Amino acid sequence: MKNKLTAQYILAFLIVLVFLIPVIYVIASSFKPVSELFVASPTFFPKNFTIENYVNALKRGNFARYIFNSLLVATTSTFLAVVINTMSGYALAKFKFKGSTIIMIVILSTIMLPLEVIMVPIFSVLKFFGMYNSLLALIIPAAATPTGIFLMRQYLITIPDELIQSARIDGASEWKIFTHIILPNAKPAIATLAIFSFMWRWNDYVWPLIAISDPDKYTLQLAIANFSGEYGSDYSSILAMSAISMVPMLIIFLIFQKQFVQGTVQSGMKG
Amino acid sequence: MKKLALVFILTLSVIALSACGGKSETLQMLWWSDGTEGAVMQTLLDDYETETGDVIELVTIPYDDYETRLATMISGGEAPALARVTEGHLNNFKDNILALDDVYTTSGFTNLFYNTDDEVISLPMDITANGMFVNTTLLDANDVDYPAPGATDIWTWTEFKTEMMKLDGETGVAYPGLFDSKAHRMMPLMYQGGVKIWDTPYTTSNLKSAAAVGVVEMIMDLYTSGLLSPEPYAGSNAANLFKTGQYGFHLSGNWNVSGYQDITAFDWAVVPMPQGLNRATILGGKSLAAFDGSGLEKEAKEFIEWMAEGTQHDLYTGGVPYLTPRLGATVSYGDFADEYAVFLDEIANTDAMYVQDWLAQVMIPGMYPIINDFAADIADPNNTMTALQLLTQLETDLKAVAPTN
Repeated sequence: MKNKLTAQYILAFLIVLVFLIPVIYVIASSFKPVSELFVASPTFFPKNFTIENYVNALKRGNFARYIFNSLLVATTSTFLAVVINTMSGYALAKFKFKGSTIIMIVILSTIMLPLEVIMVPIFSVLKFFGMYNSLLALIIPAAATPTGIFLMRQYLITIPDELIQSARIDGASEWKIFTHIILPNAKPAIATLAIFSFMWRWNDYVWPLIAISDPDKYTLQLAIANFSGEYGSDYSSILAMSAISMVPMLIIFLIFQKQFVQGTVQSGMKG
Repeated sequence: MKKLALVFILTLSVIALSACGGKSETLQMLWWSDGTEGAVMQTLLDDYETETGDVIELVTIPYDDYETRLATMISGGEAPALARVTEGHLNNFKDNILALDDVYTTSGFTNLFYNTDDEVISLPMDITANGMFVNTTLLDANDVDYPAPGATDIWTWTEFKTEMMKLDGETGVAYPGLFDSKAHRMMPLMYQGGVKIWDTPYTTSNLKSAAAVGVVEMIMDLYTSGLLSPEPYAGSNAANLFKTGQYGFHLSGNWNVSGYQDITAFDWAVVPMPQGLNRATILGGKSLAAFDGSGLEKEAKEFIEWMAEGTQHDLYTGGVPYLTPRLGATVSYGDFADEYAVFLDEIANTDAMYVQDWLAQVMIPGMYPIINDFAADIADPNNTMTALQLLTQLETDLKAVAPTN
């Protein structure tokens, strides 16, 4: 039994290593001088440690602004996504009404449309509502996501109907049931949704590329992509800013990791 | 919970308010930069604002997604007033680009592009040319002979290979050299070998001629002999690899003159490219185009008219790592003057028929990517096709996308 457990730990460690090595390599390489980045036999860790890449990258743009924009977009859209997706998921999981199945199928079917296909229509809608070139263009369309609704619905189905029914018998209003019974019980799924939503918005590139024109409204990912030109890419700056861009995700995950694991297991959600 | 919701609503309101008060009369200019171009253009835009009061906002887009962005803006009815464009962009969006014949004196510029009505559709801003960079520190240390930058006695590809192979296997040398694996860098070798792609445009090609086969076999030999790095990443990262100091030469273009300024570990120089039957380079370049549907077409044309004036145009080309397309211009290339003199000499020694032959390719949709793939196949160490087979395939593919009338 003990040997089996040890083998499992070793296997888990190896799998973690496989996923971690690229991340560590990016961070380690961000401290390498350019001459060490492009060699026939590159070393894993820098031979000559330097923070020059960070200094040069930060000089090439208003990165404090880009990080602020990314944080603003990611936090506000995550808050909205949690509120709207939880409410939608709850309605589809616990309220029996005509057409609920069709609505769910329609919502799920939108997952099958890649952004590139609906880019122009969404662009036109944003323009119609006057949101083009505004951070709202990055926040509002992300407020309700089919994946988020699906995740919350799947989790909320597992909450016993009896719990809701007995609250109704005790005279609780629907709002009170949602805020005092559903939300506390859905914490793991909410944490999962929050992490995924934050990650999606933080890493989003294509949508900000289309919706934002003003350099003062650039997100971090958009700014990093500008290190690539027609004739080549400034990989040392890309590595430095990519390493910085990992930090907020790491913090969010460390805060919510317990609920994230629980929510992922119970909702059957995969990254 | 209520406090949190209040904070959230306030945040959204601030964002919404910041989105208002838009700059509706501001012209947008889509741009990408490889170096100093954005900063130089911004200085000119500031001057233009001071002079005319018109505000032009420089919107910098990553090059890889530039076309996606431009296409979405045009399709979504939000065309930019102005945009920096390549030959490919001009071709793909020519129906949405304003004609400029009555805006500036087009006869004062080279590298002009036309729409189907034979109207000029852009202001040429800069031109690029291919050339040879060498790591003089590495070459001198290994007794490799190479022509001086101003040399008139031009070396041949055979002499070039013999000399550069002296680096093969030496300490501190990864490979003797590097080629960018792009059509723009391979085609000069074809023209040096006297091979025009088309004898009669789009019907009879010279691609299966003995001369063409000879050139392609020579390039393949440069890879298989170990002179050029065959690594798949080498062709697209050649500039970064050259900076490591482990390569003797890099066949590239004049934009790297500024890109290599930060090299401190070794000395480098631009030397004449080896010649075949004759000398040849090919031109690339960027232009400025004004778009239909921006609502600010008149203002966009006014800026192009201003930009085409000698003073402004020379200020731009004097500050960017490119050559000027303005005929008769006396641009000061400052610290880059010696290197640029070599590129200008390459252009001066290129027969105009090769320039025209190349331009015929880049304006036909689909042709440039096909030649790019051909260049990649030549460099591919796993390629099993002969030079003639590759050229036959190239001819078939080019004819498939060629205009039929």
